[in-house]
Amino acid sequence: MKLAGTFAVFAASLLAVSAAAAGRADSYMPGVAQPDRAHSDYMLKCQGCHRPDGGGDAVSNPPLNGMVAKFLSVPGGREFLGRVPGVATVNLSDERLADVLNWSLYKFDQANLPADFKPYSPSEIGELREFPLRTERAVLRQSLVDQMQE
Amino acid sequence: MADWDKLTEKMARGVARGSSRRSMLAWLGGAVTGAAIIPVLPVSRAYASSVDPHAGSPGRPPVTSGNPQDPGDRTQCDYWRYCAIDGFLCTCCGGTVSSCPPGTEMSPITWIGTCTNPADGRAYIISYNDCCGTSSCGHCLCNRNEGDRPPLRPQSNNDYNWCLGTESSVYNCSTAVLIGVALEPS
Repeated sequence: MKLAGTFAVFAASLLAVSAAAAGRADSYMPGVAQPDRAHSDYMLKCQGCHRPDGGGDAVSNPPLNGMVAKFLSVPGGREFLGRVPGVATVNLSDERLADVLNWSLYKFDQANLPADFKPYSPSEIGELREFPLRTERAVLRQSLVDQMQE
Repeated sequence: MADWDKLTEKMARGVARGSSRRSMLAWLGGAVTGAAIIPVLPVSRAYASSVDPHAGSPGRPPVTSGNPQDPGDRTQCDYWRYCAIDGFLCTCCGGTVSSCPPGTEMSPITWIGTCTNPADGRAYIISYNDCCGTSSCGHCLCNRNEGDRPPLRPQSNNDYNWCLGTESSVYNCSTAVLIGVALEPS
């Protein structure tokens, strides 16, 4: 009986530790100064096309979910994410844009983040968005996707 | 005396004929059916709209949430959530403020804005999902455009057909779905 009680306490503490770890994984977002504001900005500036869950399809718009962080692993991909029209031309400050871009990477594609991922900084975003992509976006994206599959 | 008896019998039989259980049931049935028809008579609807001209579109009863935190008639263009809408109100088309009429499909791609709720003065994030698949509803056209941007900012422009990502690109009506609270500017 005493042994069973000890085991129950041990199991409960294990559960508590794993719950705390899960909570931290959800909220631990380096490079996101204000996660709530980033979520709100995502809803206002991105969600209309990228949908609440970051989903997408080949016809309307490409998905973020399970896809967006893969760009960080190919040459030119990190710059691409800062220069796509929806990112570069959005009416948000560099600080808020860096927040929402980092937030989207954590939220929609945590699994594909490179181990040495460095969050975008406002100054890096500020430099990248000086050169927004236009009609060449689709061709550049396809070449990056091809590199991912090599 | 015999005549009196006959007269009494005749009257009693007449009353029995005219007030039998079956005829009572027939009368009650007629009354119930007739009462149910009264609200759909054009006279009654015209009267209802003349009582309070701001209670709904002519001939259209008001649709409210019943919640003081979400005030207003959802069939009216001045309902607070419609501040940036451009289209036919789904509430007038067989749907609701947040769902599509039967036979249509809600577009997953939409345009999103904020509106101020008069009940608490806070800004809420509203998603104007279009309903697609059948031809334009044609009722309750509402075009307010607050926060609308020129077409060079397509993600903030409501003149586009937002029936994207749906099986059909034919526009029917627009919803105004509440998806969140806009944070206070810091």
